[in-house]
Amino acid sequence: MRMPIPKISRHAIWAVVIALALTFLCFRSGLDFDYVIPKRLARLLAMLIGGVCVAWSSITFQTITGNRILTPAIMGYEAVYLLLQSLLVLIMGTQSLVMLGANGNFALSVLLMLGYSWAIHRWLFRDGRNNVYFLLLLGLVLTMVIGTFTQFVQFKVSPGEFSVLLGFSQASFGKAEPGQLVVSAILVAVVCITALKTLPTLDVLALGRDQAVSLGVDYQRTVRLYLALIAVLVAVSTSLLGPTAFMGIFVANTTYALARTFRHRITLPTGCAIAIAIFILAQLAVEHVFNYRTTVGILVNLVCGAWFLALMVRTRGTA
Amino acid sequence: MITVHNLSKTYGTRTVLADVNVRFPAGRLTSLIGPNGAGKTTLLMMIARLLAPSQGDILIEGSKASDIRIADYARRVATLRQSPDFSLRLTVEELVAFGRFPYSRGALTADDHRAIDDAIAFLTLEPLRGAYLDELSGGQRQMAFLAMTIAQETPCLLLDEPLNNLDIKHAVQIMRALRRLCDEHDRTVILVVHDINFAANYSDHIVAMKRGRVHCAGPVREVVTEAQLRELYGLDFEITHSERGFLCNYFNPSGELE
Repeated sequence: MRMPIPKISRHAIWAVVIALALTFLCFRSGLDFDYVIPKRLARLLAMLIGGVCVAWSSITFQTITGNRILTPAIMGYEAVYLLLQSLLVLIMGTQSLVMLGANGNFALSVLLMLGYSWAIHRWLFRDGRNNVYFLLLLGLVLTMVIGTFTQFVQFKVSPGEFSVLLGFSQASFGKAEPGQLVVSAILVAVVCITALKTLPTLDVLALGRDQAVSLGVDYQRTVRLYLALIAVLVAVSTSLLGPTAFMGIFVANTTYALARTFRHRITLPTGCAIAIAIFILAQLAVEHVFNYRTTVGILVNLVCGAWFLALMVRTRGTA
Repeated sequence: MITVHNLSKTYGTRTVLADVNVRFPAGRLTSLIGPNGAGKTTLLMMIARLLAPSQGDILIEGSKASDIRIADYARRVATLRQSPDFSLRLTVEELVAFGRFPYSRGALTADDHRAIDDAIAFLTLEPLRGAYLDELSGGQRQMAFLAMTIAQETPCLLLDEPLNNLDIKHAVQIMRALRRLCDEHDRTVILVVHDINFAANYSDHIVAMKRGRVHCAGPVREVVTEAQLRELYGLDFEITHSERGFLCNYFNPSGELE
């Protein structure tokens, strides 16, 4: 009765991930361990970190909000990131890339997104108020305001600078430096270990606020903790890879369909595996099929979107 | 015993509950009755700590509810709201297991399994144990949620309109189960109920509320009288007693409605 069948598919998906990872590392590499494989290893690590961030943040965010069509992107993190990049280019021109360096930009992006989330959480949860829907509404409106502002900035810059900005607005695994990868990996590991201890609480949270409170969950504290953890994950993945907005919805819903359980102990790892597999597949296609003429972001959105539509139509919303 | 002391709740300038003082006797079944908007659910939700009072205290066995940690409170008071709505795919057994969260925080012990089995057996839900909630009828679902609340094994249970949308047989089943919880397990049960006949026939104690205040409170025989109910609901009642209990007839009141 404890659902033994999904267990097989859960292990199978990890086998798929490992196979994909090996393929990615070795395919047409000429087994060049001096240059090609270390470079690919860095990209693979970026994908691992990105996959964990996207899956973990989307699934916990959907549990907290009790809604399966949301991702943390609705809170405006990615909008803040794009605004920062646009402003940097507007104020300092492409010089900013040189002045800050990749690491400086990464650190600045992470700090700004964390600061942004701290500010809105603090403002919204002042004097003990606790309305997640109001938080969502505020995030949505801010996303639009910031997005419009970013567009305005982008009209001001030169075509050359604009193409630099365009690079920032697409997810890519190539731009992450080894130093950033290490910092990101540590941050993500800390978040995941913190969250790991409280996964059963997250299961209870899925029953809704009232039921969770009457089962002894300190709702306010738990929700704030998880929103903070989500902010860290999103800040890391956005600074490292760029925006991945749509992917979270797809990953989370595919996870629910595959895992067929509500337990986060199972859905979170499965979600991570799915996200990583998608990233590797997309990157393989970009490198070997499209020869860098398209981007991972475009591929992911296209394939995920189509697959998700098919899933919705076939299962009529039970996904 | 739960005692409510000068309890008020206001939203801006609107007062939903004004200076309520009431006692809920231990080991008894108490019904909260009254017209819509009387503040019954508000009072119950504040006892459940799902809503913060604007003023006043709730005392549970002499200690202030707001001083008790929420995790400890869940071992003393269990709450069931009107059929919670969520999209999880859960079996009845998994749902009932949630009732043990206040004790085991997710890792079920042998004692937890015993409590889950007891709760399922108490409501004779064994045939539905492995059934998914979204495959159940409304009445069966409500029974499953009640089983979760029972598995919490708290001295006190709060239920917000547990009979809502149930057919009469399921309603009788639920009320009988609650009655047995009081009589056989010495639990304190407080529920909001709209059906005056269920309240009159199954309760020990009734608290009648009107416009945010306690209209009257006491044993069933004192509250369920034609005069009291007429004043409470603004309807003409005819109350008959038989071997099977009370029957409050309000279906064809004489005279015009106010």
